[in-house]
Amino acid sequence: MPGTLPVAIENYIALSAVIFFVGVAGVMLRRNPLIMLMSIELMWNAANLLFLAFSKMWLNNAGHVFAFLVITVAAAEAAIGLAIVVTVFRSAKHVDVDEVNLLKG
Amino acid sequence: MIANPYNSLDWNAVIPLLVVSVTALAVLFADLVARGGVKRVVCIAIGLAGLAVAAVLCAKSYGQSYSSFGGGFIMGGFTVVFEELIVLSAIFSVALYSAVGEARHLAGSIALLLWSAAGAMLMAGAGNLMTIFLGLELLSLALYCLCGMSRRTTARESALKYLILSSTASGFMLYGMALFFGATGSVSLAALANPATAASPLFLVGTALFFIGIAFKLSLVPFHVWTPDVYEGAPLPVTAFMSVATKAGALAVLVRFAYATLPSIHVREILLPLYVVAAISMLVGNLAALAQTDMKRLLAYSGIAQIGYILVALAGTTALGLRYAVFYLAAYLFMNLGAFAVVALMSTENEEGSRIAAFHGLGWRRPWLAAAMAFFLLGLAGFPPTAGFIGKVLILASAVGAGYAWLAGFLILGTAISLYVYFKILRLMYERDQQRAAPVVENSSALAWVSVGVCAIVTVALTFYPLVPSNIIPLVK
Amino acid sequence: MNPYGPVAIYLGVAMAAALLFSLVPGLLARSKPNPEKAEAYECGVEPTSSVSGRFPVRFYLIAMLFVIFDVEAASFYPWAVQMHALRVFGLVEMVVFVIVLAIGYAYVWKKGGFAWK
Repeated sequence: MPGTLPVAIENYIALSAVIFFVGVAGVMLRRNPLIMLMSIELMWNAANLLFLAFSKMWLNNAGHVFAFLVITVAAAEAAIGLAIVVTVFRSAKHVDVDEVNLLKG
Repeated sequence: MIANPYNSLDWNAVIPLLVVSVTALAVLFADLVARGGVKRVVCIAIGLAGLAVAAVLCAKSYGQSYSSFGGGFIMGGFTVVFEELIVLSAIFSVALYSAVGEARHLAGSIALLLWSAAGAMLMAGAGNLMTIFLGLELLSLALYCLCGMSRRTTARESALKYLILSSTASGFMLYGMALFFGATGSVSLAALANPATAASPLFLVGTALFFIGIAFKLSLVPFHVWTPDVYEGAPLPVTAFMSVATKAGALAVLVRFAYATLPSIHVREILLPLYVVAAISMLVGNLAALAQTDMKRLLAYSGIAQIGYILVALAGTTALGLRYAVFYLAAYLFMNLGAFAVVALMSTENEEGSRIAAFHGLGWRRPWLAAAMAFFLLGLAGFPPTAGFIGKVLILASAVGAGYAWLAGFLILGTAISLYVYFKILRLMYERDQQRAAPVVENSSALAWVSVGVCAIVTVALTFYPLVPSNIIPLVK
Repeated sequence: MNPYGPVAIYLGVAMAAALLFSLVPGLLARSKPNPEKAEAYECGVEPTSSVSGRFPVRFYLIAMLFVIFDVEAASFYPWAVQMHALRVFGLVEMVVFVIVLAIGYAYVWKKGGFAWK
């Protein structure tokens, strides 16, 4: 392992895995689209944490660049997500995906 | 380390991409400048012109190989063909805006469609994880907006559904990429090809997550639930574009991953789950298509099955298989977009003509349109005068040759079911029953008719593909 | 001394102080309950209200535009840090980036995205 980290890499992997699964659980279980969007951000940021940790471990700045890219894309995604949530629920009273039921798989 | 980007910027590699992106800006600009009735014509004309230039530039780099951004974007080999297909599908979709659609957001829609195409093209040539992610998100973010660009409530709901499910899939894929980065210490796909990385648990978990993302974008069966809903809700030109371009982009990433990245000793084991999923997709897609009452949903389920056929061609990762996969994708593009153009010609000012009931007795009211639809459906089913037939025969040959006879069996079974799906529509169109016949719709958009004609001619012309010399698609790496 | 010793002392003192402050008033003060006193203190504003009140969509619009342009501006930082290493190419690249941003800005402006009414 070329780089030196303050704590072993396994800790970073475990932490990011926990954050990732909190995000996945949030998307699966919560019914409020805003919270679902937040959970998705959580998943993306878990990946960011890994990128930064591995970047330090391998002494390769590509991880930093990737994390920066992800942050930018996530901002665009959040903006679009908010816009869509607003257009869908402008007429509805509550914000709940279970009410989005005109289309059924 | 990443090479200095300015040492490795090759304009030849990125020029079609640049043309498409700049055209989108030009369309927005034209929308600000143009006034009144010409606005619509000007926007569509600029979009089509830019795409045509990009298509020519793509075609010119055929057989060449350029690499840009330190290997982050590779324009060569199969990339050129995929980019060409994406540009063509964008051309047909923009043309459909002349027949359907609400004029209110026309310029924005066309610009977003072009950016989305640029994202798919970026995916087609992606040589490292960053470009894959950037292309994927450019494609998806633009599509979320496009899905919602309609007055119908269903369109907005489909946009929300697509946004949440697709971003989740992107999250899985991104996490997989982070694990790849951890396994190799490099974002380049070439670094993953090292056989030593195949043993790393990070790599194996990463591959699983990566495949989930890919399978979602290809709408393979356990991850397909969004497809029919989003296809039904989205405006027609967007659905037409999505049905080809997202799949082409994701397929290109998968091809580069399977052919150039995975270590060749393990490739069979690693790709096996994907083939199983493809087999299920062929069955489920065709079975679910039986019950549909909306043409867009039917084409969505048919597309799920068709992408399964394409994956069968890739079984065994042979060079021949890749040629046939690309060929079938091209055939699918023309047959599918032809069918969408017919649906566009059935549309009225207020309603898209996608209800299957509207096709009742069409053969006696608008014989040419019905004939075109019948032709495209026969092509999707795989009947002889079309490229769909020859494509399926080639795929069967390559799968059996590579030792995947069981997959070939699933393909035949899926095709048998699909015959029933398409014949149901054919019977409906040629039924003489005055009571149940739908009212005649007079929509004769010239551009949509041209699309129908071009698609029909190309679908026949592609039948002669096996006569073309065999090194027509230079390979990966 | 154990390096965590001061932390333990701090923790003990903090807990003792908290206990003291919550128990002593109960012993000394006279008790005169009143519904107003039970409310959460919010500078006189009703702490809770119906969520279904009207909320202008414009706030969302402005917030979204802010987020996008804010993050785009953040893209300047890596370039600014490496400006001398990137030389003319970096400058040209950044100018192209700004032009693309400016067209987006002009589009939003012309379409009335910044108008409050």
